[in-house]
Amino acid sequence: MGKLRQQVNKWMMQNLELPADVVMDLPRITMIGQLHIYIENHRGVKAFSNEQLTLKLKQGMLHIKGSEFVIKTILPEEILLEGTIASVDFENE
Amino acid sequence: MKTKWNHLKGYVRVEIIGQDSSSFINTCIQSGISIWDIQPIDNNRALVSISVTDIQKARGILKENKLKIRIKEKKGTPFLLKRMWKRNGFILGMLSFIFLLFLLSNMIWNINVTGANPKTEYELRKAAVELGVTKGKFIFLLPNVREIQRDLTEKMDNVTWIGVTQHGTSYRFEVVEKEIPEAKQVTGPRHLVATKEAVIHSVFVEKGQPIVGVNDYVKKGSLLVSGLIGKEKKPQLVSAKGEIWGEVWYQTEVEVPLNTSFQTYTGKYKNRHYVSLFGLNVPVYGFSEGEFKDKTETLNESPLYLAKWKMPFSYIKKEFRETDGVKRSYSKAEAIEVGKKMAKKELSKKLPEDAKINGEKVWQQNVSNGKVKLTMLYQVIENIASAQPIPIQQGE
Repeated sequence: MGKLRQQVNKWMMQNLELPADVVMDLPRITMIGQLHIYIENHRGVKAFSNEQLTLKLKQGMLHIKGSEFVIKTILPEEILLEGTIASVDFENE
Repeated sequence: MKTKWNHLKGYVRVEIIGQDSSSFINTCIQSGISIWDIQPIDNNRALVSISVTDIQKARGILKENKLKIRIKEKKGTPFLLKRMWKRNGFILGMLSFIFLLFLLSNMIWNINVTGANPKTEYELRKAAVELGVTKGKFIFLLPNVREIQRDLTEKMDNVTWIGVTQHGTSYRFEVVEKEIPEAKQVTGPRHLVATKEAVIHSVFVEKGQPIVGVNDYVKKGSLLVSGLIGKEKKPQLVSAKGEIWGEVWYQTEVEVPLNTSFQTYTGKYKNRHYVSLFGLNVPVYGFSEGEFKDKTETLNESPLYLAKWKMPFSYIKKEFRETDGVKRSYSKAEAIEVGKKMAKKELSKKLPEDAKINGEKVWQQNVSNGKVKLTMLYQVIENIASAQPIPIQQGE
């Protein structure tokens, strides 16, 4: 059932030109240089330190590495991180 | 916008001590507590901002997660106000200053009385004191200006009207005093004599024996109306009264230049400002003297005083005003016309109010050195009678 739904979603995205993050519940990540990173559609904070932020996603995790991290705002589905961002990695389960 | 709102409500910056800060963040978000500016310090410590309204809820969550909390900073308006209250001397000072200023500007500082003689003024001031209008009284405790005016006018019986006006902190009383008509002057026995050489035009005698008739020629000092009436043998002394109108000739000379040049201001001006220190003028503002062809310069010095001592510095304002030469020229006929008017004006200044100019004549006119010289003759009808007391001969 899940498999079918995923395929329908993918089809809709490709053929109806709907934005992928809406249709497939994926995170939307906006970065401004190395200074800011803005992530929508996350599922909570897994770990947070000066050099690393790990966010839970619907599927898998998101690792953000860098230095001098400060979470400027955090809302149930949005997060704004400030600092010097070095890398953004996806980790699939 | 949100941060502004939080600032207004007040928020605290807290240090969270413990291993599992990320689960605290998650629980906060899920239970609707807004936290922001999360800054990790090291492995088991993080700085977090929490709104004051949420701090109690946050404490519960922290307990569940076995975390410790330490308040680092209190920010926002409520805390700012609290801190300001610690320096309440300032606030009290400011408030009392405003209060004092308010009180002082609502006090009577000055009472002016105009139009009254010293006696009335004294009485008026006394009446005003009875009404409560004295120096140092609060204006808002007094009846309004109209009532004061009515009461005062009622109280004072030797004045017609009192106008009361209030200008800021001063009251002004304008007084119109009742004018009691002067008693008629009792005059002793007298004659009326002529003040000028004249031809009698008309005679009105109230009392006394007229000596002259219409068209008589009189010299200065000659008797017009006699104060002796009755039979020749038994004369009676009266105070002669009447008006004797006579035709008097006046001669006036005027000179009218044909060409005159005037200086008028064009309205353009430049100011220079100086500060004078011990007699040395230091320009402060305005450095140009104005590119005027013709100009006049005026100097205004306003010295500064401290109490009654003149300070060694003063403010000087130099004003340059542009002038313009205007030439006026008359033709001969115009000059004569102007001369006539001038002569008449000059004459009427000299005449008493009830005199009447009956006729005028140009006696002489000549033009020399660019000037018209006029000699005018005027026939004026005026009262020439003046009183001359009759000496009472004793023993008669």
